[in-house]
Amino acid sequence: MLLDAFHALLDIWVLIAALSGVAVGIVIGAIPGLGPTLAIALLIPVTFTMPPIPSLILLLGVYQGAIFGGSISAILLNVPGTPSSAATALDGHAMARQGRAGEALRVALYASVFGNIFSCLVLIVLAQPLASLALDFGPAQMTALMAFALIIIVLFSGGSILDAALMTLVGVAAGIVGLDPIEGLPRFTFGSFAAEDGLALIPVLIGLFAMSEVFLQVFAGRRTTPPAADVGPLSGDGTSNRPVGWLTLWKMRVTLIVSSTIGTFIGILPGIGSTVPAFVSYNLARSRSSHQARFGQGEPEGVAAPEAANNAVTGGALVPMLSLGIPGDAVTAVILGAFMLQGLTPGPFLFQQHGVEVYAIFEALILLSIPCVLFGLAMFRGAVHIIRIRPRHLFPVIAILAIFGAFSVNNSLFDVAVMLGAGVIGFVLRRAGFPLPPLLIGLILGPPLEQSLRQALLTSAGSADIFFRSPIAMGLFAVTLLCALGVMFKRYRQTHRRDQA
Amino acid sequence: MPALRSRWLYLFSALLMVLSFSVWSSDYPTRPITLVVPYGAGGTTDISARQLARLAEPLLGQPVVIENRPGGGGVNAMRTVSRAAPDGYTLIATTSSPSFVAPALRDTGYDPIRDFTPILNYSGPWHGVLVGADSPYHSLEELLDAARSGSRLTYATAGALSGARLAFTQLGRQTGAKLQHVPFDGASGATAALLGHHVDIALVPAYRDLVNNGQLGLLAVLDDQPDPDFPRVPTLEQSGHDIQFPSIVALMVPHGVSAERAETLRSAFREAASSPEFAAVMKKLNQPVRLLPGDEVEAVIRKNLAAYHQLAETLKR
Repeated sequence: MLLDAFHALLDIWVLIAALSGVAVGIVIGAIPGLGPTLAIALLIPVTFTMPPIPSLILLLGVYQGAIFGGSISAILLNVPGTPSSAATALDGHAMARQGRAGEALRVALYASVFGNIFSCLVLIVLAQPLASLALDFGPAQMTALMAFALIIIVLFSGGSILDAALMTLVGVAAGIVGLDPIEGLPRFTFGSFAAEDGLALIPVLIGLFAMSEVFLQVFAGRRTTPPAADVGPLSGDGTSNRPVGWLTLWKMRVTLIVSSTIGTFIGILPGIGSTVPAFVSYNLARSRSSHQARFGQGEPEGVAAPEAANNAVTGGALVPMLSLGIPGDAVTAVILGAFMLQGLTPGPFLFQQHGVEVYAIFEALILLSIPCVLFGLAMFRGAVHIIRIRPRHLFPVIAILAIFGAFSVNNSLFDVAVMLGAGVIGFVLRRAGFPLPPLLIGLILGPPLEQSLRQALLTSAGSADIFFRSPIAMGLFAVTLLCALGVMFKRYRQTHRRDQA
Repeated sequence: MPALRSRWLYLFSALLMVLSFSVWSSDYPTRPITLVVPYGAGGTTDISARQLARLAEPLLGQPVVIENRPGGGGVNAMRTVSRAAPDGYTLIATTSSPSFVAPALRDTGYDPIRDFTPILNYSGPWHGVLVGADSPYHSLEELLDAARSGSRLTYATAGALSGARLAFTQLGRQTGAKLQHVPFDGASGATAALLGHHVDIALVPAYRDLVNNGQLGLLAVLDDQPDPDFPRVPTLEQSGHDIQFPSIVALMVPHGVSAERAETLRSAFREAASSPEFAAVMKKLNQPVRLLPGDEVEAVIRKNLAAYHQLAETLKR
């Protein structure tokens, strides 16, 4: 089967589809607000007349390219191109400002490729058995998982736990705005129809991370404006840009494997997306690192962890989509439509009826890494120079991109207002020294946490028994508790030692 | 000089008037038509609308541009289109939920009857009453009997404001069965919850392969007509309950579009929707082609809007 599938790939159209898909994906992903969902939806009509394998490789190439592309603008501009690359910006942009943009981009690229290959291998070996795992996650198990993710973000956020908890709660509270997920009644919409959809993720993200940066610069005054950063020698033989080779990857092997595993398995579960695994693995990488203080200041592992995780989601998200016909997020829902149009109806029969096509697509997903690396390396040569643009010339562009990106999500001016509001709030919070990622995670996980908790209690007629009867939920709660105790013990020892000294 | 200029001005404006009259009297359509899809790009409603638009373009002689306006379960797009100019250049491909479910339950900012003129219904997936393969219930009556005699059964739907929920709430009220609603984010989430044994029943479309594969059992359909793929499975009405949730996917224009223009659109889209090419795409998407003229769609909406409105009033009490 695997060999037959490989033969099916030896076709010039497959090559053309792969190359153009990845190229389109990287460019679209790098532009804030234009995510893979939009790009794939627009390309679906183009693929109508193409045979199944090339058309799906084109679309999956876009998906893969876009997730990596998002990290380019995150690193160079501190504007995440896609929500999942917000975590990459933390250390990636810090590295870029030190003149290590080339190194940061390369680490991101190689980590992306690693995460992608890892998750595709998992997909090939385990797609069918893992699908039933996804079904075991009902409302009660999802509640435990969401609670676990939220608490992990708070515990391992690095700075003050209280600050992170506060920001998470602000995010969860912001997620309450909109229609109640169970009764469908409007909450905190103040009679505005536009607010019924709640605060959309992408405008909030762009506002918090990109627009707030613009406001910071506006209020920083002229003298304190940072000078344009240096690109540093591209070849990597200079002082600032360290070469990125096999040795670098080998040193990060644990981070890469842990992050890819997190990405793959969270990707399998519906409704979480790729932003949360990126932040979770960033925080875990920092908590494991021997030089935690360097995280946030330009640590290559801080770039590798989220990039490996968010690319690993690609393979994970395809597991329930292909074997059950259940898409985990918006992108896979669009890809599901494309599979159906090609006559490959995802579901239990897919592997029996179209095994060759499906395995050809899996193999292509791995091979897509080659054009990804080639295009990536070629683009970096030009792209790194963006960092040399003086901030006062760059920030108007960022402001325009932010407004455009927020508007283009739903063609809604309300979203632009949300983006600007989030920008002001982000500016105030950053000035006050609060961490922003927990706020974003709270906003992403709050609504599904509320929904699954209420669903669980509806099914159990209001009894908390439903959590105790589920081994998965209890296991997750136990791990959460252990993590909390571990962090508390560590902090206690630190303060204790300081007292003795 | 000023006189000369004003004479030129007169001449120019007269010319403009003639031109604009000629535009007025010339055949509709003369510019691209916008077809609003109330959901995100890439879903079944979007893909089928894009295909329909592509097939209607040569018949209308103008491009049909798809505009996705997701959000609010389709309500946002309906509100926008209800306020668009009634010139026949803005259409919406809408579904049951924003046309007669959401407006019955809450203020949506538009009236589906007064603000819209239906043109044509072209699809509408059947919603089934599904149970797990190992479920002890093999018919709707067995299920209702169990729910009447103490068992509390949970049913998953695609969302808080779904018509399926209203139909089952009504069923519970009429039969005294204890049925607990558990809304999910979309039909696929509800199907997954049933497959994973987290709920007892799911009211979802797109069940054909899962039922044929023996993973789920189909007890009834919520529509007013049986599903042609499962002709022996009864509707709720055939099972003796005066309840229906008809599923529509219809083209509508804002109210006030002239009868000629509406007819131009109707004939073009009817021809496109009855083409074998459209049927082939819909078959691949696992969606039916159901053609209904505009006035019949309006009757369906009117009837169900009234029924659901009444139900919503009793729910509030």
